[in-house]
Amino acid sequence: MTRLPHDIQAQLAAAAPGGVEYSSTTTPLGVVTAWCGLANSEDLLAVGKTLLELGARLAMVSALQPPAPEGEEVEESEEGANEAAKPAKEAPKTFGGTQIDGKSYELDYHFLIGGDFLTIVADVPAGGSIPSLTPLFRAADWPEREIMENYSVIIRDHPNPTRLFLDPAIDAAVLERLIPFSTLVNAASTKALWDKVLAAKGEAS
Amino acid sequence: MTAIESSKTYTIPVGPLHVALEEPMYFHIDVEGETVREVDIRAGHVHRGVEYLTTKRSIYQNVVLTERICALCSNSHPETFVMACEEIAGLQIPERAAYLRVIAAEIKRIASHLFNVGILAHLTGYDTLFMYAMQVREIMQDVKETLFGNRMDIGAMCIGGVRYDLDEETAAYLSAALDKLVPEVEGLADTYRRNHTILRRSRGIGVLTKQQAIACATVGPVARACGLPYDVRVDAPYAAYDRLKVDVPTLVEGDVWSRAMIRVAEIGASIQLLRDCLANLPGGPTHLPDRPDIPAGRAMGKCEAPRGELVYFLKTNGADEPERVKWRVPSFPNWDALRFMMRGAKIADIAIIVNSIDPCVSCTER
Repeated sequence: MTRLPHDIQAQLAAAAPGGVEYSSTTTPLGVVTAWCGLANSEDLLAVGKTLLELGARLAMVSALQPPAPEGEEVEESEEGANEAAKPAKEAPKTFGGTQIDGKSYELDYHFLIGGDFLTIVADVPAGGSIPSLTPLFRAADWPEREIMENYSVIIRDHPNPTRLFLDPAIDAAVLERLIPFSTLVNAASTKALWDKVLAAKGEAS
Repeated sequence: MTAIESSKTYTIPVGPLHVALEEPMYFHIDVEGETVREVDIRAGHVHRGVEYLTTKRSIYQNVVLTERICALCSNSHPETFVMACEEIAGLQIPERAAYLRVIAAEIKRIASHLFNVGILAHLTGYDTLFMYAMQVREIMQDVKETLFGNRMDIGAMCIGGVRYDLDEETAAYLSAALDKLVPEVEGLADTYRRNHTILRRSRGIGVLTKQQAIACATVGPVARACGLPYDVRVDAPYAAYDRLKVDVPTLVEGDVWSRAMIRVAEIGASIQLLRDCLANLPGGPTHLPDRPDIPAGRAMGKCEAPRGELVYFLKTNGADEPERVKWRVPSFPNWDALRFMMRGAKIADIAIIVNSIDPCVSCTER
């Protein structure tokens, strides 16, 4: 009993000339979850326009940096000369050709048509950008601002690209950096604890 | 003496710490005289990085962690998270567990809605009604304490089912509590329908039109008070909701009063759902026998939390920790609607309008 149009895949393919990768699952209670990967993330606005015409609601936008598969590093070999002759192993790529190198971004735009999910997956290489969906969906404003403060992905033409939750004094792209917990919590209690530990150590020695 | 220009706009700050706000949020409000012209919302005062933390905890630890995101809708978070896990693992929960999930969710919904309508009375200055609503809410607080051992974080959910069960004694206790609750809720509904103080402070205040509600992608009672009948329990059924009759009340006025009355009506609908669950509670196990591994995959989960649609995205890679957990709480889109609701409102109504979306800052900021 899907609420998605029966020709949704064709409509998405028509809106995204770069190509789409479509799949869907249905729960035993008949609720559909569909995924549509875009080969070219620049097709996002055209796909968004199609979904707007279908009455879709933008429920959420997720961002992540898919980790590079383990064991991809070229191992040092005793037979160095022979090893050098082998071609370098390429990092795997997404459907659209974006390298999964641990630095690229996957942006998932979760739309709802009725009660059914349709997630548009767009991949953006490190240092890349993607258009803002705010001209089509007002509800994209906050999620895109949150993504911009968590990652260094650039969302073009956002009407208000200011911080949402994090103070402007905090460095950009927090989810791409390791932040010591003591820094995160301003070290107020941690310093007191270390003073106590060092004092105790001094007494012992 | 210089004449004061009557058309000049001034800016007043409301929050982040304000006596009328339950949690910290900063509203930068442009006013002209006593009338609100523009609102800018600045968030981030209780941002805790819980989303990042979920990727550093095992999937099973996250069932516990997600329950700590919020207090009032604490059950909805692990409920949706485990639904996403079960989707990836292809698990079908036992029939009894599906009904027990509905029971836990509806108990939490009643307690949450009573809290919100009680606060509305407090903000109108009708503190007797506020205390009465909170006293009525105590019935459900006692139910939670008796059934789950806790008054807020009830720890009812697990991957593959639920962590609690009802026996004859606890089922009878719940049934008796509902009997006690019905006349109290009817009395409250009558007061909210007729009381002059409530009506004067809530009718025609903070109006959101249906088109504005659609543009902001609002959900839950905020959307239903504007005539949008969307309810996850009906439009995308989960647990045992497909086998139960879920009454989805809607109104069209879109004002503070309508949002309160939707919640009051939903309390009645939840009571009926609980009665239906008790009458039809199937036997059998309450959870799957094993603690299943969650393979690599991706899934979406959603449920109807007290404030509306709660959405989860889960991506796993076969490791103990999830690769990404992302959620969007119902308050998140509903904040934006405040800009429309407050435009043209009086300064004195700001707190009442903010409360009318039943905002959860802890949920929003994570």
